Order: sequence, then C-alpha cells, then structure tokens
Amino acid sequence: MRSDVVVGLGPAGPNRPSTLASDMASTPLTAASDQPAALVIRGGRVIDPASGRDEVADVAIDRGVVRAIGRRLPVSKGVRVIEAKDRLVVPGLIDPHVHLREPGQEHKETIATGGAAAVAGGFTTVCCMPNTSPALDSPELVDFVHARAKATSPCRVFAVAAATRGRKGEELTEIALLARAGAAGISDDGDCIASAGMMSRVLAATAASGLAFMQHCQEPTMTRGAAMHAGERSLRLGLGGWPRAAEEIIIERDVRLNRGIGCRYHVQHISSGESVEIVRRARAAGQPVSAEASPHHLLLTDEACEGYETNAKVNPPLRERKDVEAVRQGVADGTITVLATDHAPHSVDEKSLPFEDAPFGLIGLETALALYAEALVATGLIDWPRLIAMMTLEPARLCNLDRLGLGRLTEGGVADVTVIDPDAPWTIGPECLRSKSRNTPFMGRAVRGRAVATIVNGRVVTG
Amino acid sequence: MTQRDRPRRHGTTARRATPAEATTSLSPSTRHLLGLEALDGAAVRSFLSLARTFESARAIKPMLAGRVVANLFFEDSTRTRTSFSVATHRLGGHAIDLMGAGSSVNKGETLIDTATNVEAMGVAAIVVRARQSGVASMIARKVRCPVINAGDGRHEHPTQGLLDAYALAGAMNRGRDFDLGGLRVAIVGDIVSSRVARSTIFAMRALGAQVVCVGPPSMAPESLRSLKVDVSRELDAVLPTVDAAIMLRIQFERSDAAAGAKGEALVVKAPGLASVREYRECYSLTPERADRMKAHAVVMHPGPINRGIELDAAVADGPRSIILRQVAAGVLVRMAVIARLCG
Repeated sequence: MRSDVVVGLGPAGPNRPSTLASDMASTPLTAASDQPAALVIRGGRVIDPASGRDEVADVAIDRGVVRAIGRRLPVSKGVRVIEAKDRLVVPGLIDPHVHLREPGQEHKETIATGGAAAVAGGFTTVCCMPNTSPALDSPELVDFVHARAKATSPCRVFAVAAATRGRKGEELTEIALLARAGAAGISDDGDCIASAGMMSRVLAATAASGLAFMQHCQEPTMTRGAAMHAGERSLRLGLGGWPRAAEEIIIERDVRLNRGIGCRYHVQHISSGESVEIVRRARAAGQPVSAEASPHHLLLTDEACEGYETNAKVNPPLRERKDVEAVRQGVADGTITVLATDHAPHSVDEKSLPFEDAPFGLIGLETALALYAEALVATGLIDWPRLIAMMTLEPARLCNLDRLGLGRLTEGGVADVTVIDPDAPWTIGPECLRSKSRNTPFMGRAVRGRAVATIVNGRVVTG
Repeated sequence: MTQRDRPRRHGTTARRATPAEATTSLSPSTRHLLGLEALDGAAVRSFLSLARTFESARAIKPMLAGRVVANLFFEDSTRTRTSFSVATHRLGGHAIDLMGAGSSVNKGETLIDTATNVEAMGVAAIVVRARQSGVASMIARKVRCPVINAGDGRHEHPTQGLLDAYALAGAMNRGRDFDLGGLRVAIVGDIVSSRVARSTIFAMRALGAQVVCVGPPSMAPESLRSLKVDVSRELDAVLPTVDAAIMLRIQFERSDAAAGAKGEALVVKAPGLASVREYRECYSLTPERADRMKAHAVVMHPGPINRGIELDAAVADGPRSIILRQVAAGVLVRMAVIARLCG
C-alpha cells in the first residue's frame, strides 16, 4: 500500500493526521462527524481487483478504515456483524458519469437524492457532470458541489468540471485551478467540443493538469433535430436520426489531435460498434485512450423507442443489435475498461412531452449493477472480478481517485465497501428508486444481482 | 353535445367491439386511426368501401346527430381541417375547432391537457394535427374517445393515404374492389420528411400497388427501401413506367416568400437541396414530362401546390390531374373513418 494514501476521508482531526491534509480541505467528505460502530463483514467472497485478492474472508472495519481482512477474524463485543456468505464483498462501486442536476435543476435530482440513489445501487462514489445551471466551470462551483455533497449526500461526490466556460465550446476554463479544486475530470458532457482548434487547446490544458478529458462524442452539425438512432426505425417513426458516424468521426478526430499531446482521453457512453473499433486501434497503438459503456447501450436497441417511448430517448441513442454486440465485445476484450451509468434524471412532466421535445436521458444508479451482470456476466463475456474492476479500480484510475485510496479494498485502506448478492432476483419498479425521477426504460424488468449493503467511510448507509 | 350521449361516451372504459370492428382487422389500437402502417389490405378496403357508400347522398344517415367531433389542430391546416369538418357535418354532427395550442413552451402538457379537457366535454372523437411525430398516439393513450390522426410531424397522415388510394382506385376503374395490384405509383419530392408519403406508401402497398420514390438523396434516401419501395433519382426514367405520379409539396422558408414571388431562387427548408432551379430541373412535373407518361396515367398532389415548382399549372389543371377528385375523396374517407370509429 502506498504511503500517501489517505486513511479515511472523514474529517481530519488531531488524532487522525492525514498525509494528504492539503487535499482534505477540498475533498468531499461524508456527512457524519460521529464515528460509526465497528463492523465485521463475515464470510463473503472478498474481491479486490487492485491486489488480485479473490477469496472467502472476513473484513473488519473500524473508524472508517479497513483494519483487517482474513479468515475467522475475532469479533469483539458491540461490533456489528454483516453475514456475507455467498455474497461478494468488493471495493465501494464508483460511477464516473452521473448527472445530479444541482445546482439549477433540482426538480429532477439533487446531490442528496442522487446520492441516495447511488448508495441504493451499491455506489459509494459518483462523479457528476458539469451540465448544471450554471455549468460547473469555475473552482467555486466545484467547491459548491463538494460542500453540498459533504452536507447532504450519503456517498462521495466528485465534480467533473467543464472544459469551456458555460460549456459553450468557446473559451477555456481555468483547468489548472479546477484540478486543484479537486475536480475528477474535465468534460463538456452533454455537448461535444466541436471545434478542432478548441479541442486541441482543451487536450493540452487537461494533459498538463493530470486529469483525464472525457468527451461527449457528437458531431453537432450531423445531429441537428435528431431524436433517435438514424435507421429504419427513425425513418418509419418520422423522427430525426442521429447517425453513428457523428460519434465515430469525433473519436477519430480527437485521437489524431491528441497524438502529439498525450492527454488521457476518455470516450463517454460509447454507442456505435465502429467506435469501439476506433478505440481498439488507438489503444493498440499505445495511445492513452479509454472508453466507457452504459447499461442501456449493453442491453437495448432502438426498438425500445417504439410507441414513442420517451424513456428510451437517450443521447447517444440506442442503436442496433450489432452495436450492442460490438460494445459487449469491447468490454470482453478489454477495449472498454470503464462502466458508467450516465444517470440522467428528468421529471415525469418533461418525459411526457412529445418524443421530439422530451429531453434525452435515463436514470441508472439503482439498476446498473444488475443490468451489467445481465449483459456481461450472465452471458459469460467477463467474470465478477472483472466486472468489479470495471466498476471500481478502473473508474478510480480514470478520475484520479485511486490517489485518494478509492477503488480498492485493502488492509489499512479506505472503508468504502459494497456487499453484493450476485443471485438475488428482483424486479425493477418505482419502489426501488431513490432518485427524484423515474425515467428508466427498464421498469418492470426481472433482473438478478443487487447490492445488499453499501458502506461509505466505514458507515453502513444502506443494508 | 347533449345529455343523451354523455353517458354513452363516458364510463365505457371496458370497450365493446363495434360491428364495424368485428368485420375488419383494425389492429392494434382499433378504436383509433393513428396510422396505416399496421393495417392490412382488408382493413384499408373496409374504410374505402364504407367511403364509397357515401357517394350517394341519400345513403347518408345522420348518425352523428347531436354529437361533436373536435378538430384539435396544434399546427396550421386549412384543407384537412375543413375536410374533417365537412365530413362531420355531412354525418349530422357538429365540428368544433381548437387551434394553435402548441405555440408555447409547455407544448406537451398543454397538448395532453387540452385533449383530456376536450374529451371531458364529451366529444365523440378527437381529430388531431401536430408538429411532432407521435402526438396522436400519445393522446390516444390518454383519452378514451376515438382519436384520428390528421397528421403528426413527419410520421403519418392516414386519411390522406386513404384518400389517395380511393381517388387512384376510382381513376383506374378499380373502385369496385380497391385492388391496386399491377399498378405502379411514383411519389416525387421530399419523401423522408413527409407524413403524406408514409401513409400513402402504406395504403398503396396494402392494396397491392408498387411504389417508387423519386427525389434527391436528401429527400428520397436509399434507406426508404426498408419500406418496400423502389428509390430512383431519375424522374424522366420513372415517369413512362407509372400509372400515377404523386407530386409532393416543397416547403419553403417563410422568410423567403418575397424572393419566391419575384421568381428568385429560394432557400429550401429541406437540407441538401441546393436551389429551386436545380430541383425544378430534375423533379418538376412539366407538361413535357407529363406527355411522356402512359396514356391513362394520372397526376396527384396532396395540396397546397407550389405552382411552377413541383408541378406546372398546365399539368395541375390539365386532363391527367385528379387533384380535385382527391379533395372530394378526402371528405368521403374522413366520413368513413369518423363513422367507423364513432359508430
């Protein structure tokens, strides 16, 4: 274990010196200041992708820290025991791509309700995108999100900051200062940085900051008026089409722009099968390119839009079977290393608009784990340890959260832990959702696998 | 509306099959007419056969006496709305018009609210026209009374498809059985953005006709073949092979209307079209082109016509034109649709 790893992210008191004290001031903290009771998670299959650990063991937690991992750990009086036989005990799940809507659109979601949805789904950390109102384009707004999270969210929240002011693609933000404020990445998500000139400046500034740049890959002039995937269905339904090429050419362009810059470049919510191949080639050439896949792009096609189902309206859109297969294959062969929900809450009123007028997006935090398991593990494409890695270690590295000790489960490390029942059958229904919004195309779906306990900084927040 | 029919339309949550439905396969949402895509030949013919009975004024019974049909037009229309009104009146009912409610931001809620309010007043049916695709089916999910789609965005305009089929069958002496087998129909213009084109394609296909879509790639993309139609760029090559040419209206930017009046080249809404000159050169139906059509072949247009652009006046008013027959057919098929759904 590295010596600079922060020991717990709770408030640094006089008796808990932190080697990252300077970071602590700007690091979002969990709300409670009182100490949670000591805890033993007993007899689960402990998986830690960082160390390669995969064995049945107990995990002892005290004061926000994993004190011991081993067989038959002693349980002293007053220590809470969570029985975890046949359960997976894994590092707290991390979602590097959510929309929490605060500030500005609190009728859809808040940092508090989004955080509640996250922990219900087993996530202990989420990274929220900057397309709020105002956009998260200054260190002050990053501070605001982190302070609100500390005050209201049961999970850790890190802001991904905007690359351009107001996300307009015209003027650079203070990327160096955003990084110092603790931003987890740089992105204009929701909009693509369309200008190649601006994009190369953004890549250079982001590279210097040490953060990753996360691109929403959408060539805007090809997608004006688009409401769904461009194909036979959009033609029949009389809806504007969003062609695959609008995603692919941005990835191609950015990979080329980045050759002499070397910024860590991350493709958000990859949707086109051909995009996967572009990322695969770039990675094979040794470029610092990564990509994420979302549950809906791993399971659904544009068929879900039939009947003008606005809960299936998402950007980038649901595509065709061959795209779903290619995205899954990208996960299986390691081209796609990160899983991200793109949790995008919208109110019932907004999603009741005509399809063309309804906003893009669907929620995912509560349902993601089961849906990933269905798409990737039940199909035999990857195993549970790899799935866990893609939901912990990989997003932690992407967002520099590994430097805070997040994304791993190790003695002396941060006690962010998720306990998963991999076989639990359940049906997705409104009663399962903690989000303020209900916009999911998976309502009523029978699934398997669920987080049964979510532990943030040593505190059981659900379960 | 009257007290008499209030209980009749209300409280009928469990729908009972009307005699009309029993004889047709109007699936899947039988109470409404939202589109023609799901209708087979028998279903289309049953509407057209019913429309034919209304050719004789004496056969028309005031079946809608005392009842109201609401024309809920969120988008401008004159002829379609008038045609529906006339159809309602001829069946003995009253037509009321509600227009323009979709002009402001909260279109969706306003739209659904307007529809449910109108329904609560006890109307026999709602005829809806909207700027966005899918609005008719959206409203149909929220109300119990029949919903008739009078055009939703770029999706469908089913009564237009029916009237095109009715008019063509009449002109081709196929009005007895509405079998259009062996006929070949060209649809020319901005097919991809046209709700008329979709419904007409479905109607023609259901009745056995072949369809060829003609236009520039931006308006008649190859992907149209998924609708089981041919696609061509060559109007001159297609015209001699068809029994009917349906010319679609080109939509212009309103701000360029003045330039249009002066005969200048106009900016056209449809992306990918360089100029009116180019369009006219390639796709306008001129008298010279019309002369190369088969002797019996007819020219159709859903209206309103941009004379001199997609269709020359001499052709529009010439012997091949059945445009006014289409207008007359419109009232008959709309009577049939209203009668069937409200019967």
